[in-house]
Amino acid sequence: MANTIRLYLTCIRNTLEAAMCLQNFPCQEVERHNKPEVELNTSPGLIMNPVLICRNEAEKCLIETSINSIRISMKVKQADELENILAKKFLRFLSMRAEAFQVLRRKPVQGYDISFLITNYHCEEMHKHKLIDFIVQFMEDIDKEISELKLSVNTRGRLVATEFLKQFI
Amino acid sequence: MAAEEEYLEAEENLEAIITRIEHKSRKIETLLKQSKPVDALKTALEGSALKTRDERCKSANWIVVHRAVMAIKDVDGMISSLDPEYYDILMKYLYRGLATGDRPTCDQCLRIHEKLTEKAGLGCILRSLSDTVNTV
Repeated sequence: MANTIRLYLTCIRNTLEAAMCLQNFPCQEVERHNKPEVELNTSPGLIMNPVLICRNEAEKCLIETSINSIRISMKVKQADELENILAKKFLRFLSMRAEAFQVLRRKPVQGYDISFLITNYHCEEMHKHKLIDFIVQFMEDIDKEISELKLSVNTRGRLVATEFLKQFI
Repeated sequence: MAAEEEYLEAEENLEAIITRIEHKSRKIETLLKQSKPVDALKTALEGSALKTRDERCKSANWIVVHRAVMAIKDVDGMISSLDPEYYDILMKYLYRGLATGDRPTCDQCLRIHEKLTEKAGLGCILRSLSDTVNTV
C-alpha cells in the first residue's frame, strides 16, 4: 500500500522534471501580450501531449505542458461522503488564497479537485527542483490533512453526542 | 490530390496493420505459454504502426502490448534485456496504461515506469510528451 504511493509520486516527479522546461514566449496573436499557452490552447505547435497518471480509479494527476507554462491538476482520494465534503472545503479554502501560493490556480480544471499553473516566470524566480518538491510534498500532505480533519470531525461529533445524550440517562 | 492518395494508401494499410496485429497476438500467446514474457513484450513492441492515425489499429495494438506488459514479473531483467530502440515506444505505451485508471494496470505501469526512467533517462519521457507524429 505504501509502496504504490511512493511509485506514483516518483512517476509524477520524473514526469514533471522532464516536462518543466519552460521559456519565455510572447503571444503570437496579440502584440506585446504574454500569456500562458497551456491555458489558451490555440496553437497545437506550442502544446505537448497531455499526460494522465492514475494511481487507481479515484486518484489521478493530469499534466499538461506548453512552451511557457505547465498545468498540473489533481484529483485526491475521497473514500466516503465525509471525506468528499472535507476535501472540497479544504481545497476551496486553498484555491481562494491562490495569490499567496503563486503557483496555484484559482479554479481547478473540470473533473479535478485542484490545479497548479507554473509559468516560465516562476521558474526564473524559483528553483525548478524546489517547485517540483513542493508539488510532490503537497500531494503527500493533502492525504494526511484530510485524514486528520476527518478524525477531528469524528472525535468532536462523538464528544458532542456523549454530552448531549448524558442528560437522558 | 496528394492528400487523397495518402488517404487511399492508408486505407489499404489499415487492413494489413490489423492482420499483422492479429498475427502478433497469436505469437505472443504462444510465447507467454512458454513463459517467455520478455520475448512476448519485444514482439508486441516491434512493428507497432506509430504513424497511423486510425483509432482501431492503435487500440488493437494497445490490447496486445497490455497483455504482454501485465505478464511481466521481473521488471529489472526485462529492461536490461530490452533493446534501447524500444524504450521510447514502451514509455508511450506506459503512459497510455497509466491513463486507463485500472488498478492492476496502473500498478504494473508505475513499477515499469520507475525502472525505465532510471535506465532511459528523462529524455525518454520528454520524447513521449513532445512526439505528435508517432503516437500510440
